[in-house]
Amino acid sequence: MRRTGQAGFATVAAIFLTAILYLAAGPTPAAADNARWGAGYFPNVVLTTQDGAKVHFYDDVLKGKSVVIDLIYTSCVDSCPLETARLAQVQKMLGDRVGKDIFFYSISIDPTHDTPKVLKAYAQKYHIGPGWTFLTGKKADIDLISKKLGLYSEPDPNDRDGHTPSVMIGNEPSGQWMRNSATDNARFLANMIGNWLDGWGHAKAVDAKANYEQAPAIDISDRGRYVFTTHCAACHTIGHGDKIGPDLLGVTNVRDRSWLETFISTPEKVIAAKDPVAVALYKKYNGINMPNLRLSDAELNNLIDFLARQSAEHGKDAATAEKVGTVKADSAQPLR
Amino acid sequence: MSHNDDGFFLSEKSSKARLREAEDARKNRAEILKAYSQGKVSRRELMKWGLITTGGLLAPIHGLNPFVSSAYASGGGGSTIPTGAPPSPTFGVQPFSTPMPRFDVIARGNNPLGGDLTPTPTAQANQTQQPLDPALVGGQTGLTGPIEGRPGGPIWAHQGFTDHAPQVSVEMSQAQAQTNTVYNPAVASNLNSGIDPTSPIPLKFHPGFPTQNANSVWTFNGTIPPKLVIGRYGEPILFRHHNRLPADVTQNNGFGRNTISTHEHNGHHGAENDGFTGAFFFPNQFYDYHWPIVLAGFRSVNTDATDPRAGSPADNGGINKVPGDWRETMSTHWFHDHMFTFTSQNVYKGNAAMFNIYSALDRGDETVNDGVNLRLPSGSSNGKGWGNLDYDVNLMLNEKAFDASGQLFMDIFQFDGFLGDLMCVNLTYKPFFEVERRKYRFRILNASVSRFFKYGLSDGSPMIQIANDGNLLPTPVVQTLSDEQGIAERYDWVIDFSRYNIGDKVWMVNTCEHRDGKKPSADLTLAQALSGTSSDPCVGKFLEFRIVRDPATPDVSQVPNVLIPNPDLSSIPVSRERTFTFGSGASQPLAASEETYTTGAGNQAGPWGVQTDNGKMLNASWGRISAAPGYGTREVWTLQNGGGGWDHPIHIHFEEGQILARNGSASNVPAWEKGRKDVYRLRPGGSVTLTMQFRDWGGMFMEHCHNTVHEDNAMLVRWEIDNGGAPFLRPLPTPVPTPQGVGFVAPDDIAPTAF
Repeated sequence: MRRTGQAGFATVAAIFLTAILYLAAGPTPAAADNARWGAGYFPNVVLTTQDGAKVHFYDDVLKGKSVVIDLIYTSCVDSCPLETARLAQVQKMLGDRVGKDIFFYSISIDPTHDTPKVLKAYAQKYHIGPGWTFLTGKKADIDLISKKLGLYSEPDPNDRDGHTPSVMIGNEPSGQWMRNSATDNARFLANMIGNWLDGWGHAKAVDAKANYEQAPAIDISDRGRYVFTTHCAACHTIGHGDKIGPDLLGVTNVRDRSWLETFISTPEKVIAAKDPVAVALYKKYNGINMPNLRLSDAELNNLIDFLARQSAEHGKDAATAEKVGTVKADSAQPLR
Repeated sequence: MSHNDDGFFLSEKSSKARLREAEDARKNRAEILKAYSQGKVSRRELMKWGLITTGGLLAPIHGLNPFVSSAYASGGGGSTIPTGAPPSPTFGVQPFSTPMPRFDVIARGNNPLGGDLTPTPTAQANQTQQPLDPALVGGQTGLTGPIEGRPGGPIWAHQGFTDHAPQVSVEMSQAQAQTNTVYNPAVASNLNSGIDPTSPIPLKFHPGFPTQNANSVWTFNGTIPPKLVIGRYGEPILFRHHNRLPADVTQNNGFGRNTISTHEHNGHHGAENDGFTGAFFFPNQFYDYHWPIVLAGFRSVNTDATDPRAGSPADNGGINKVPGDWRETMSTHWFHDHMFTFTSQNVYKGNAAMFNIYSALDRGDETVNDGVNLRLPSGSSNGKGWGNLDYDVNLMLNEKAFDASGQLFMDIFQFDGFLGDLMCVNLTYKPFFEVERRKYRFRILNASVSRFFKYGLSDGSPMIQIANDGNLLPTPVVQTLSDEQGIAERYDWVIDFSRYNIGDKVWMVNTCEHRDGKKPSADLTLAQALSGTSSDPCVGKFLEFRIVRDPATPDVSQVPNVLIPNPDLSSIPVSRERTFTFGSGASQPLAASEETYTTGAGNQAGPWGVQTDNGKMLNASWGRISAAPGYGTREVWTLQNGGGGWDHPIHIHFEEGQILARNGSASNVPAWEKGRKDVYRLRPGGSVTLTMQFRDWGGMFMEHCHNTVHEDNAMLVRWEIDNGGAPFLRPLPTPVPTPQGVGFVAPDDIAPTAF
């Protein structure tokens, strides 16, 4: 016991000495390099997972991990659905690293509504895989976390949504953090999370003769395809089956154009007006709100033209239909 | 003054109601912390309440650390500034107690392709393999990567490497802080406030401050003073930039990234030399930047090089004529890191240097009287013919923050914009500078992360503005206070010290007050700024001029009434108009036009991004092409600040633009913005309409907010010059750098209106 006591005293003395040296403007110890963004910076507040487990924000959520963190609320009709769908794409791209060295977290900024049970249902709707945890907790703690992460927004009466569709990606051990848009390009995000922030430990060899000629050409002539790729593809396929939302193959054959225009441009109003088709879709797809994407008229037209073209080509070409044989029987005609 | 009483900080003179409000907050410690974090109470109150120590250290209360918009009180005058940290310690140092070092002029080699550099530079990136440090690749062993970090292949080959073959080499390393033993101010000691250049210079922001740790500061060659490269038109430079930063990404003392990309701001070079944000290189690699230093329009204007005004200073005082438009002559550049998402951290950490370009018009020798040389203040080059610095002084302004031990500090979670609280000139805290009784030229660079400066002389004496950004103005403008100078803007001034007596002192005074990194909070009068009552410790005197003697030889410099007029573009058709909106104020919905790109946030915290219409917020991805002007065309771009709560200095790479209108009207363009520019300060809610040409070179360039925190998160778009025929593809593949080499992918997105 005596021995332990002495060791303890020595340790305390050493710490004290270090502190004095530190205050005396001596060189900062190397170990302090990234301590700035560690336990001393992040609050170790208690949060609750969608399974009801209690976790500490620093010790359990961040420490030693590469993380992807966004703020959501499940009743959000604006950017959250797209945000969640987009991050689900990123999760898929990162494969089995998610849950091993990369961890996804969505923290509710509406904790009174978003109980663990609600969060669990939300995660199921979006087919969230392992390694992605939904968290709720005390409002004050969550505000503190969002401030510390640089994700906090002051409440804005003009913007009911009231939060930023940002995602923080970071690597706690190295203290490297980046703020990105959660609704942005999934491949880009996956590269930054999987390669940049983990110290290039998974970077694959590059062909020494790597050449721009190997880069595939990209079709820039089709604006409708662009809209589909950038806005719709996180939740929908054309002829590859249902994702979060229905397969859109043939959608222009079964819905008239004006209905599509109205629904895509103001889905929340169409559902609120209890349009029978919209309500049926809402029920069939787990009560997920189709987000209002705020497309311009031109974008909307280009998109519907594109969907019509895709459907027409599909109809003409039976071979294509066989190629997309992955379509499940019950979703081959998803909108009827 | 009222500006102390409106929420940022409570002085003792604050109203009883406000003090009562603060007292109420005391009832609950959490409330106090909240109020403190929001700047609603001052350090003085917190000290009274025992929550903060006299040294400015927070009492050991967990959770008191900074978060967004946190504000801590600082020493002098009970002022506060939101560095995200307690006020920087000054170690008892008094202002104006140390000389301002002049820039450290980098040696030039004259045989870049024949022995200056090993290995010899090549047109395409050198793909020779070398072993990779395991610390760089997550502990993997046995891997190799190319020695040059430039993307391989023909697209990233130096354009014009034969026609504009390098004649000068410059070689520098990005390196950890160390002592400078090779300082070359390129002027006599008595023109450098008596500094002995042979005396080793440790990396300190003041002799009374502690030496910076190796990983607190990363600069060119790891040393201070900041570096200056000297160049002249028609004399291409090959700048080999080595990355000697730690391979272990954790060795950064809390901020900074060990991968870098170096932007020559605003060089008219091929895109492979532009420091593209996604063409970064790794520790132990180099990147060869080829700066041809051409006059814009060299492929289409004055192609036979017959106009002597389009020229380069020849050795011994003559002119070597060069092709291009003499009205596009530039003078004052700088270069700095452009690493994706980490630009603000890296530039703040020291990756910033200046580049003076000399020309037939701006010779750097006031004695050359040939009818072309404007004879601006510089002194005599004593027969060399150009590039004399005696009375031509580079000033780098920025403000820094330090932790309790005096090591450089940055809050990486401060996404509104980051401010420091100690004003530095040439990386020295509030220095003095000795001057003679004559005219001087000052090339003033705002190298801050988020701060605007507005300055004048303490006695209200006139200063003559001769240049804005890299460009000499059509006509000089006399002012007593500068405009708000945005981040990355360069203003060149002539100040005549002959009006003073030997022994006099006069000070440069900053009058632009900030409370956060979003925008200036107030432009004070000179008297207010000098009164010491501002809540912002960077307001007030920051540089002391000491008038020490008469010049040894007469001042023969001039400030002509006509400097460099603008090229007349009226006969060139406008092939396209584009609008970029920065900041989508929630209460100001934009027309959902396909022609509108929106980058930015409203009045609330971020994110900034790129919107292709009025609804989706997309952040910067260097894989997305947002605009692709045709090669050889002219366009008109309108840069709109969508919100009133922010200001954004927007930088468009590659070629200078002319401002056609502010807020839609040409009459709103001030005299000092009537030349060419490359940074366009929008002002809250304001807009700038400009025209620029896209010619001579091709590739992928950028446009972004130069509040580098905004840029990083990520108010940045990629655009590229298209349709030039080979080698310009349409669209260009995106480089994807890794330590093992650079791959390419097709662009992820191309905005539907890009082409």
